Amino acid sequence: MAVRANPNLIDDLEHFGARDAIKCYQCGNCSAACSHSDDPYVFPRKSLRLLQMGLEKPLRSALDPWLCYYCGNCSEQCPRGAEPGETMMGLRRWLTAEYDFTGISRVLYRSWSSELAAVLSLAAITGLGFLGFGFLRGGGNLSVYDGPGAFLPAHAIHVFDWTMGILLGLLLAINCVRMWYFSMRNDQALPVPFSMYVRYLAVLPLHFFTQKRFRECENKAPWANHFVLMLSYLTMLTLIMVFLKDMQAGPKVNWYVHTFGYLSAIGLVTTSILAVRGRLKKDEAYHKHSHESDWMFLGLLLFVSITGIVQHLLHRAGLPMAANITYVIHLMGVVPMLALEVPFSKWSHLAYRPLAIYFSQLQQAAAQAKGVVPLGKPVRPQPAT
Amino acid sequence: MSKPATTVGGSESKKAGDASPRIGVYFLYAAGDKAAAKKYRSVAEYAANLPGVSVARTMVSSSLNPAVLARELRKAKVNTVVLASEHPGFFKPAFSQALVLAGGDATQVRLASFGERGDGGALKQEEQRAQALVASAVQGIPFTPVPETTAESFNTATLVIGGGVAGIQAALEIAESGHKVYLVERTGTIGGRMAMFDKTFPTLDCAACILTPKMVAVGQSANIELLVLSEVEEVTGSAGAFKVKVLKHATRVDASACVACGDCARFCPVTTASEFDMGIATRKGIFIPFPQAVPNTYMIDPTHCTWVLSDGKKCGACAKKCSKGAVHLDAKDEVVELAVGNIIVATGYDMLDAGRIERYGYGKYPNVLTSLEFERLTNASGPTGGKIVLKTKRQNKKTKADEWIFEPDGPKPKSVAIIHCVGSRDENYNAYCSRVCCMYSLKFAHLVREKLPEATCYEYYIDMRAFGKGYEEFHERIREEGVFLVRGRTASVEEHGTQMYIHGEDTLTKHLITMPVDMVLLSVGMQPSHGCAELSEKLGIPRDGDGWFKELDYNAEPNSTGRTGIYLAGVCQGPKDIPDTVAQASSAAAHALRYIVGAKDKDQESLSNVALQNTEEKAGLPARS
Repeated sequence: MAVRANPNLIDDLEHFGARDAIKCYQCGNCSAACSHSDDPYVFPRKSLRLLQMGLEKPLRSALDPWLCYYCGNCSEQCPRGAEPGETMMGLRRWLTAEYDFTGISRVLYRSWSSELAAVLSLAAITGLGFLGFGFLRGGGNLSVYDGPGAFLPAHAIHVFDWTMGILLGLLLAINCVRMWYFSMRNDQALPVPFSMYVRYLAVLPLHFFTQKRFRECENKAPWANHFVLMLSYLTMLTLIMVFLKDMQAGPKVNWYVHTFGYLSAIGLVTTSILAVRGRLKKDEAYHKHSHESDWMFLGLLLFVSITGIVQHLLHRAGLPMAANITYVIHLMGVVPMLALEVPFSKWSHLAYRPLAIYFSQLQQAAAQAKGVVPLGKPVRPQPAT
Repeated sequence: MSKPATTVGGSESKKAGDASPRIGVYFLYAAGDKAAAKKYRSVAEYAANLPGVSVARTMVSSSLNPAVLARELRKAKVNTVVLASEHPGFFKPAFSQALVLAGGDATQVRLASFGERGDGGALKQEEQRAQALVASAVQGIPFTPVPETTAESFNTATLVIGGGVAGIQAALEIAESGHKVYLVERTGTIGGRMAMFDKTFPTLDCAACILTPKMVAVGQSANIELLVLSEVEEVTGSAGAFKVKVLKHATRVDASACVACGDCARFCPVTTASEFDMGIATRKGIFIPFPQAVPNTYMIDPTHCTWVLSDGKKCGACAKKCSKGAVHLDAKDEVVELAVGNIIVATGYDMLDAGRIERYGYGKYPNVLTSLEFERLTNASGPTGGKIVLKTKRQNKKTKADEWIFEPDGPKPKSVAIIHCVGSRDENYNAYCSRVCCMYSLKFAHLVREKLPEATCYEYYIDMRAFGKGYEEFHERIREEGVFLVRGRTASVEEHGTQMYIHGEDTLTKHLITMPVDMVLLSVGMQPSHGCAELSEKLGIPRDGDGWFKELDYNAEPNSTGRTGIYLAGVCQGPKDIPDTVAQASSAAAHALRYIVGAKDKDQESLSNVALQNTEEKAGLPARS
């Protein structure tokens, strides 16, 4: 079966951060150095080869990039400086853009100015929207923060949160379906019966919450950082989505909101500062290259965390007007961050990674059920006794 | 033609119809090459002020249209063109045509080539050099790659630095033409790396059978003065009259008295690793590097000798036992001054330290060997008599520590893996290809299969570089002998229990493979011999980015250096196999002989007279008295 080649693909990928893939001379050192690479998902060399050849279709259906956690072993050992780890990172960005049916993701990843413009205009719309809402439909008084007559009443924000959540979730869900279609419904993939989908469903929450595979990398520190960030993020999200009324209750705030809120705020700020520091110092292979979207993500995350904390402190200090203004500023960060990151950018990997693991396990199970055993299954070294 | 980048007005007055040359200097660079454009602009400013130059400007080299150029030449009233570029010859036709169209002479195009003068382009050169090249072209001086010597009387003696196969060959060529050669060698014997080899590729000849007669010829030649354990200290003067100071370390054994009976070594209490055997065998404190060494005399290793280390207070057994009284333990190092006309550099190479690549386990696992260690192991004069065996664990009687050594009756490996490109083609170590590893690895596979037909042999290669005469056939032959060729670089060598495993991807089947192996051979790459940096400073000859000595011109003068009278032979100029090394050594000798023979003729007549006479003879004219 002939495969169509796109000779411009490798140039296109440069915009997604994979700048050195052309240097690869296919020695295979990276695939063998990777602790996740295993039959039938042997990477990153194969992906670099597909990229060099411009084989768009097999690349679009590949799950390999999502199975890589960028520990940087491959890049450190690469004899050519082809940066296989960064190439996989670039491919993940490219895949995110490919999965996205709106085409927004592609524009955001390829053009830094578009991304900046999108963030700034969304922030402006949000700011004006909430101010307008506060004055016209809300309490109307900027110096009332909580209780009845609050400038931004918690129940209204709650409704707004859920509306936005459902909308973004829907967009992401459509992209996930596209991912499923590309990777599970191509002519190379084995058909998987519905019962098998159900049987393996537990894989999704397991990998979503633990990032178990990430921990299997030789270097555990990135996993630990990622795990804390993710846990803090989820905690904060739960607090906002479910317990918003308690957070904005008034002078008295429930103990659990306090405890979990402080813990996750500390987690968010520390891990994102650590990530910024790593990306600036560039000591580790996985921090050597930073795409504009990485900086945007970290910048927004820090902005949102810090404004959230400041808003809380101002409220506790009895400065309702300042708290309200910070609240609006905080929302001006939150809305662009979630609206752009969840369905179109980095945040979407929270869905794609567990899905990729799920799909890869389904494929392996389907192969086993059919009696198809991968060729040349490696001889496993016997552990020392 | 694109729009001009810079135009600088000439210094000459612009009088029409002037017969004197009105020169236009054009600097050509590829579109988009901003670095070249910048560099050329500054040289163009310099060129504009040279006498006779009407116009000097930079120009994009793509789409040169002779008609447009002609208009340009007519406008500037240029009748002579100088083209300055990396490779200006490419643009000569367009400018010749333009000159004709402008009513000029097509032959009036001169070239100032930055790229063909052996320094990798004007961008890497000093600006002065680029300026000099342009100035030469403007003044119509042909730039000769080899500057002529100015020495009044040319010394006919030659110094050869390095006694490997290149140095030996060059020394023999010159000595056999009847001229004096000083051969300086750092170690205790000539022979170099080739003397360590078992077989040569692709002919599988015995290396010693080829080299030893040449070594003996050096030892016996009346014209060659051999200085072993010697290093060049200082070089002054110029071609035809070099003064060289050589530090001659004391061998502490009188070469004329020693008969190499070996009594001294029998009684020597010191045992240490043998350099010649790459440390897989031992030697004594007083030793002969290997039985066929030239000169065939014993020498003392002052870094291990008990007498030397104790300042003459202890031991001295060798001096007492020598029936010829040849051992002089108190002999001192001396500095020898040599006067020579030519110098041939043949310093060869070192192997990259395989221990730097930790994931291959060299130095950690006993049966991971480097290529030279394997050469010694499989060599009939090696520690096992040429048997390929695994190391066995033994307790050192003195230190009580466990050590792994080769014993002739050691266990035989059942599987051997050979890893190509160890430290070569790798940006973390040496980015260049060492050129010989593919072939010697195939040779190793052949030796393993020949000596141990039961053993499996794997070659892990990236690309098989079989470029030489007979190499592709050799490659085919080894494949047919049943060697498994795996296209993929090995990522790691690990030991689990007592079994080593090597892990890599077979890129052709796209599967990861982990193979249990008993012995791993690392095909380690070459790098410039240690001390090359200092030698390059002493000789005043440049090295390239990888540390090899820089030839004057890659294509036309591969063994000349920037200095007349100093020539390169063998691997010191870049990785080479044995035939290329020998060929280059002979060619370096020819370079030296050109001046030596010329100098001799100068004693009678000038060189031009000789040339004239030869021409007249050929033409059948009567010879002049």
